[in-house]
Order: sequence, then C-alpha cells, then structure tokens
Amino acid sequence: MSLRQKLLLMFSFTVALAVAAVGWTVSVRVRKVFERLDQEQTQVFVSQFRREFQHRAEDVTAALDRMAASDRMTRIAFDLSQGGDAAQYLTEAGTLAQEYRLDFLEIIGPNGEIVSSAQWPARFGYRESAIAAAGRPPFLKQENLPDGTSETGLFAVRAVREAGAGSAAANSGVFVVGGTKLDQEFLADLPVPAGTEVYIYRNAGSAFDVRSLTGAGGIVADAAKYEILIDRARSTGNDASGPVYLTSRREDSVNATAIPLKAEDGSVMAVLVIANSRRGMVEVQQHIRAIAYGVAGGGILFAIAASLWIAARISRPVERLAQAAAEVAEGRWDTQVEVQAHDEVGALAESFNRMTSQLVEQRERLVQSERVAAWRELARRLAHELKNPLFPLQLTVENMVRARQFAPEQFDEVFQESTETLKAEIANLKAIIGRFSDFSKMPKPQEVEIDAREVIRRVLALYEPVLKERDHPIALREEIDREPLTISGDADLLHRALSNLVLNAIDAMPEGGTLNVSALRRDSMVRIRISDTGKGLTPEECGRLFTPYYTTKEYGTGLGLAIVQSVVADHGGTISVESMPGAGATFVIDLPGIDHPDKDAFSTGADAERNHEQ
Amino acid sequence: METQEDPWQTADGMARRLTMDGLTRLDTAGQVRAALATGWSSQNGEHRWEFRIRPNVHFHDGTALTAETVAASLTQSCRSGACPWTAVQAVGQTVVLTSDSPMPDLPAQLARAEFLIAHSDTQGAPDGTGVFQVTGFANGVMAFAANDDYWNGRPFVDAVELRPRRSIRDQWLDLSIGRADLVQVPPQMLHQAQQQHMAVTVSEPVELVALQLSATGALANPKLREAVALAVDRSALYNVIFQKQGEITASLLPEALSGYAFLFAPDRDLNRAVALRGGATSSVLTLAAEDGGAELQLAIERIALNLREAGFRAQVMPAAQSGQGQPDILLRRVSLEETQAGAALNEMLESFGQHGTASGTDTAALYRAERDFLAGHTVVPLLWLPRAWAVSERVRDLRLAADGSPQLSDAASEDTK
Repeated sequence: MSLRQKLLLMFSFTVALAVAAVGWTVSVRVRKVFERLDQEQTQVFVSQFRREFQHRAEDVTAALDRMAASDRMTRIAFDLSQGGDAAQYLTEAGTLAQEYRLDFLEIIGPNGEIVSSAQWPARFGYRESAIAAAGRPPFLKQENLPDGTSETGLFAVRAVREAGAGSAAANSGVFVVGGTKLDQEFLADLPVPAGTEVYIYRNAGSAFDVRSLTGAGGIVADAAKYEILIDRARSTGNDASGPVYLTSRREDSVNATAIPLKAEDGSVMAVLVIANSRRGMVEVQQHIRAIAYGVAGGGILFAIAASLWIAARISRPVERLAQAAAEVAEGRWDTQVEVQAHDEVGALAESFNRMTSQLVEQRERLVQSERVAAWRELARRLAHELKNPLFPLQLTVENMVRARQFAPEQFDEVFQESTETLKAEIANLKAIIGRFSDFSKMPKPQEVEIDAREVIRRVLALYEPVLKERDHPIALREEIDREPLTISGDADLLHRALSNLVLNAIDAMPEGGTLNVSALRRDSMVRIRISDTGKGLTPEECGRLFTPYYTTKEYGTGLGLAIVQSVVADHGGTISVESMPGAGATFVIDLPGIDHPDKDAFSTGADAERNHEQ
Repeated sequence: METQEDPWQTADGMARRLTMDGLTRLDTAGQVRAALATGWSSQNGEHRWEFRIRPNVHFHDGTALTAETVAASLTQSCRSGACPWTAVQAVGQTVVLTSDSPMPDLPAQLARAEFLIAHSDTQGAPDGTGVFQVTGFANGVMAFAANDDYWNGRPFVDAVELRPRRSIRDQWLDLSIGRADLVQVPPQMLHQAQQQHMAVTVSEPVELVALQLSATGALANPKLREAVALAVDRSALYNVIFQKQGEITASLLPEALSGYAFLFAPDRDLNRAVALRGGATSSVLTLAAEDGGAELQLAIERIALNLREAGFRAQVMPAAQSGQGQPDILLRRVSLEETQAGAALNEMLESFGQHGTASGTDTAALYRAERDFLAGHTVVPLLWLPRAWAVSERVRDLRLAADGSPQLSDAASEDTK
C-alpha cells in the first residue's frame, strides 16, 4: 500500500471516527433525554392512575355503604340472622349489583357462606374468605368466574347491620362483598396522553397468558411482546421497564413500564403496563444518523483532497526517492533525484544524490584496484607459467654450450636431445600463451532457441566412454526433464562450459565415484546441476573459485571456471557452487527458460531418461 | 293466556293442545278415555291394535276425519321421534298399528301430545279437530275461537288469545294488570308467586330434571359416570335453585307413580366419588343445559362446581354454544305424560334413547328394569318438578291435565273472550 493510500485511509478513518463519535454521543444524549421524559410521563400517569384507582375505590366503598344501609339489605340481613331461608335471595345479588352499578357482588350469610353471587350465582353455599377484610380499605382481588376465567377487581367488604336498631344496631353477621373490574372500561376512563398506551394484565395463573392483557380497546394484539417485562414484574413484585420491539422496525417500539398491583398480602393481582412510543426518539436518532452520514461523506471527500495535496508536497518526492533507490538496486548507481524543496525531504534527496555519487566513485576505485590485482595475479601466473618451461630452456642452452667441448659424436647426440627439449618447451610456451589468448578472445554468444537437454546429452555422450575406461570408473546418473528445456543460447559455448564442469568433476574423483547431472525446469528458469562425489571444497575455495587464474589443481590455469562463469553470465544466467569438505561439490547453473507455445515440438516423449546409471 | 314457549312446538306446544285431538286422551285422574277413536282392541298378544275412528268429525277447514288422514298423521309423527309401532295402516274406518314387540300401553301412549292428529290445510298450516280453531295471528297474539262443531261439545270459552314467547316477568305483569288470565309459573318462582298472592294451580311432579351422560369420550369409563352421579348435590338444586318445589329423586318415575322410587338413594357421597375417580387426571368434562333456560343454566353451573369438588375438570358450555357439539354431560328437562307406571317408565326410557319394554303392573319387574337401566349411569335423575299456572280471578273451573297442561276446554270465564 502506497503512502498516498495510507494517508487517504488515515484521513478518512479519522474523519469517520470523529463523526461517528459525535453522532453516537448526540444519539445517546437524545435517548437519555427521551427516556427521562418517558419516566416523567410515566410517573405523571401513574399518579393519575392512582387517583383514578382511589376514586374507583371510593365509589365501590360508597356503593357498598349505601347498599348495606338500605332497607332492603337490612331486611335481608335481619331475615338471615333470624334463620330465614337463604334460598329466596338466590338472585338478590344480581339485582343489587345492577342497581348499585357493581361488577361483582356477593351476599354472605351469618354462617360465612355465600347466599347470593352476582358474578357466579351457582356458588351459593360456598364459604367466602374475603369477609375477613370487612371494614378495611378497598383491595385488589382475583375473582374466578363460571367459564373458567378470572377477573381482577377492586373490592370492598361491608357488614350489614340489622334493621330497625338505629345507630346502635348490632352487626347481623351478614356481609356484602362487592367490587368493580379492572378492565378496559376502567382503562378507557384514564386520561392517556397521545403516544402512550395503557394495558392491564390480570394475573390469571403462573404461565403468561396473552388473553389476560387488555387495553382500552380490548385484547392487545402484541401481548406476547410484553411477556418478559410482565413476568419480571410479577416475579419480583417491583416495577420493570425496558424497550419492547413490536415489529422489526425500530420506530415501532415502545418504552414500557410494568407496575405490579398488589393485594393486601403482597401478592401481585395485576400488572399495569404503560407503553410510551419511541417513534419520536427513533426518528430523531435516524435524523442525527443521516446528518452524521452526510458529514462523514463530506469529511471523506475532504480527506481525499487533503491527501492529494499532501501527496503533492510530501509523498511524491518520497516516491521519486523510492524509485531512484530501486534503480540503484538494479545497478544504475549513477541515478540522481531532483531536489525541489529545502525541507527534510529535500535534505533526504541531497543525501541520496551524495550517496549515489560516492557509490559510483567507490565502484570505480574498486574496479581500478581489482584491475590492478588482476594484472598482478596475471603477472604472477604468467611468471609462474613461463618460469617452468624457461628453466629447462636455460638448462638445455647451458648444456649445449658445455657440449661444444665434447667430441663431435657426443655433441651431436647432446645437440639432438637439446633441440628436442627446446622444441618441446617452446611448444609448451606456445600452448600457455594460446590459452591466455583464448581467454582474452572469448566470443559473444550467438543465441538461438535451443533445447538445453540436447546440449547436455551431447556433453555426456562425449565423456561417457572416458568415465567407463578409467582405472577407477565413474558412474553417471542423469535426471533430465521429460519436457523440452527451451532456452535462448549458444550451443557451442554452453557445450564448452558444461564440458569444463564435467572435466572438473572427473578430475575431482581420481578414485572413482558418481557423476550426477540433472536438468529441470524451475518456474521460468532451467536449472542444471553437475555434482561429483569427490573430496569437496572449503568455503574459502568456494568463494574464490570463479576468480580468473585461481586454481586448486597442480597444473590448472585457473581460467576454466572463469570461462564457465563468463558463458553463463553472457546467457543471462547465474552459476553457484555448493560444497562441503569430504562431501563432493555441486555446480548449479540457472538459465532463463522460454515458455515455448509449441513446446511439444521439443518434446522427446515419454522416453526421457531418469536415474540412468552406468 | 301467555307462555314462554313456541306454541307449535312438536311435543306439547299450547296451540297444538288447543287445536288438535289425539285418538285417546287422559282425564284428570290419568285414565285413558276415547277421543278421535271410539274404541280399540288388541290382537296377537298386543302386537296388533285396531282403533275405530270416530265418524262425522271434521278438521277445522271442513275436511272429514278418515282413517287415512289419521294413519298419515301418525306416520308423520314418527318421523320426528321414536314410535312404539312399526307400521300403520288404514283399514276401512279403523287404523291398524302393528309392532314386532307387544304394545300393552298403546292407548295411553296415543294420548301424548306428540301423537295428536293433524293434517295440513290448503295453505300448508297444521290443522286439527280440536276444541278451538285458529282465527288469526297479529302483533304477536294468536287468536283462537271456540269450535262450535266440536265432537265433544262446544267449550264454555268463546275465544282464547295466546301470547307466546313472553318472559315470565311480562306474563306476571300482564296478569297483574288484567291483560292476561292464565300465565306460567316456573317451579322456582312458585314461592314468589305465592308471596305476591297469585292464584296458582300446581300439577303433580311431571317434569324430570336429569343428567344425561355420554357413554363415550371422557366418560366412557362407567366408574367415572358413577363418580359424577355421586358428586352431584341434589339438595342444593332442590333447596335453592328450584326453591324446594317438586321432589328430590334418583329414579326415573315419581314416587307417587312407581311406589319404589325411594329405593334409589339420591344422597351425595363425595368421598366415594373421589375414590371412584381414582385420582387420574381426566380430560375436561363439558357440561351444557338442554334448553338454555336460566334455572337449568344455573343448575348446570352448580353441578360443575360439585364435580370440581370431586376432582373433575368441568367446563360449562355457555348457553349460546350448547347446540354446538355433544357435551359430556347434558342437563335435560323431560316431561312425563303417561299415568301408568309401566307406560311411564317406557316413556322415560324412550326419552333417553332406550327402547322401553316394561309392561304390566308388576312393580318388582319395573324396579328391576329401571335399576338395570340406571346402573349404566348414563342417566342421573335429579329432581321431579311440577308445572304451575297462575290464573286471574275471572277464570273458573280450570283443571290441569295429567301432564300439567291447562284444560281450557272445561274452563269458564266471567266475561267470555
């Protein structure tokens, strides 16, 4: 990733992060404000609910007080207290409940049994425990109904005094238990603000029942969504609140508060659910988010512009420096960059130019010193090479001078021998000079597309008899690719180089061994490996092996491997040696291959040799 | 006259009783008397009966009564319910009824309201030979005029107005303001009527309130049905809902008729009911009242409470849903018209879908037949109830038939209507 891209990303990320942080903060703040408003609204409504609850309780109490004090009721109470037939009052509660506008009413006889029930007429004769609450404030109570359902009601209990006794009338033992439902009509009377819904959950049983949740409009369609809150309020006896998502859309959610309504013993009789719509809050949050997206988009555009400007000032000179450094790495040491500014980047450019200048100078000095060293080495080798034949020449000439004193027959004999020796040594001198002449006249390769396998096979065919006929034969092991190894090269020069390596390998194995030759494709290169199992080379020897005139042989010129390296380099390839003392040596040549589209034309088929030993 | 029911309802609608006769009739003492049949005889061990049709009798539209119209009417009656005979034939001036089993009580059975003789007039309306004939229907009032050519003599009353489908409260109000002379008094309101100083005529117990239990489904096990029978508290129904009218019973016949009804114990035994139920968690029992009347609905709700005490899961079907599906327990109100024990038992058995084969006057045999039937616990008799009517001071000599219906043909009024 370029510096410009990094800058762009960094700017964009910074702007987006900043906008997101601001947007999130504002959104959270808005949510808290709305939640506080919801809480305040809920508190206000709960207060209204409690007032309405109190009014209803007062209504129930007043109705029961009037009923208990009525002539009709006192006559009934008197009759019952005197042992009158309770059966005749079977339908009395229903009539009285209608008259006094009560949803629930039961008349309890002196024996504590129900005489008449408005809500469940068939329950006559059963005991009613609610009379224990006689005289106490109204309370919540769960009332079972004949159809198996139950209703939650606001109840009160009043004792009925006997008729005709005035204010000092004795308690007849008869009670009236009456109440009103906490139902949708009750909710409909509440002043509910817009955006708020109020529901009552009548605590019918242990399991949540969606039918028990009613609102002012009847059964609540999304009752199941409130289950968790209501259950929490029922189980803990405390208020429970939280968001309730009615659909997958966030705006269709409410902040709901479930308030348990308890009986005197603390048991939860019903749960009041106040649901404030979150639509307003969600719409504000969505508005904030839209603004944030806009700002972030603008910020990113700004970041792009800023990064382009900064690139013009900073990254472009840096890129030019990076490009110049790459050119230096490729060998163009005289590369220079233009210095356009006088800041840090400009100083960097000047330093770079100074560095490349020094590199060029040092290389020239190095070349010069190497050239001197090479001449010295050449002189040393020439002196060494020439000294060997010169010494016999000198001895032969001195011997001939001394032989002039011998008899003619002896002189002729010595002369004859001396001239033979002189011719031999002079021929030796010519050979030495010829080899040096050859090295100096190394031709440039005439490159054509060739199959490297053919060159290798010709070299191996040339030396295969030599390997067999030695006193200590050398085994040959080949591993040649089945596919053509097409390269661009000069077959004669490559033949000469490979022959040189094979001869070196043969010389390295005077006691016999194995010559391994392989030629395989490695990606886009052709790799040729020639290994021997000789005594190997030391690391120092490996380091100097390709230096001209360096040799490890007693009678070598030190030019063979230099020629090999020269040929390989002229073909755009590389040569290296891998060796350890005692573990033989391996010469590795990598030559650039050619992916010939019609490579089958070079294919030798399935008869490629592998591991062919002799 | 005012009633709650449909005046033309098949069994004992008041319009049918006023305008139609049977081949026989029961007098106030319950004895079988001749009506459209002047005489009858049985052959072949009471497998075959011949009824001689009264001559010179005409329907209100002038059509002569013949054996063929009688046979057609009786055949029509059998389409809506079970009949004791298997074939009806008109043979000259006689009608021949035959059956594969003996029909010892056939003359009494033919006095029932369901076998009143009728034919369709030219307009398709039912028409009979009764003591009154329909003269009009307007504003919810049916008008009847005395049949001057009635074969048994003209009634004292010239005309009758019948307001059907009227609530008890409205009937009583009409009676109090002189708008009605004869109104119904349900048994549970008898005490109230007496408190209001109404002149009330009460019949013998003629209606059986009983539970009919399904022998399939949740109550397929006879022990569960027995547990249901033992769980019901009859005294609460008798004392409170029906205000101590009629009698508590566990028998299909009233004690006065059979003489052995006391042998069937009506006592509640909740512990035994619980034991018979066995503690198993049974499925929900559905209960319903047959006619949806308020007192029967209240009674079935009370019975549901009784069953819950015994550990049953009982659910009362609302009155509006009583006709939907077959409940496990159905509270029924069954009328008794027969006045002879054997015939009465057969009538009751047939009312509960059992073919009655009781015959003769052998009380022990009748007891065994009833005991065997009740042992299956598919029917649990609860109460026998009377029928009652409140009459105005203008009405004289009103008597009730054996089935509790008023006999207007013998009644008189101070100013004829």
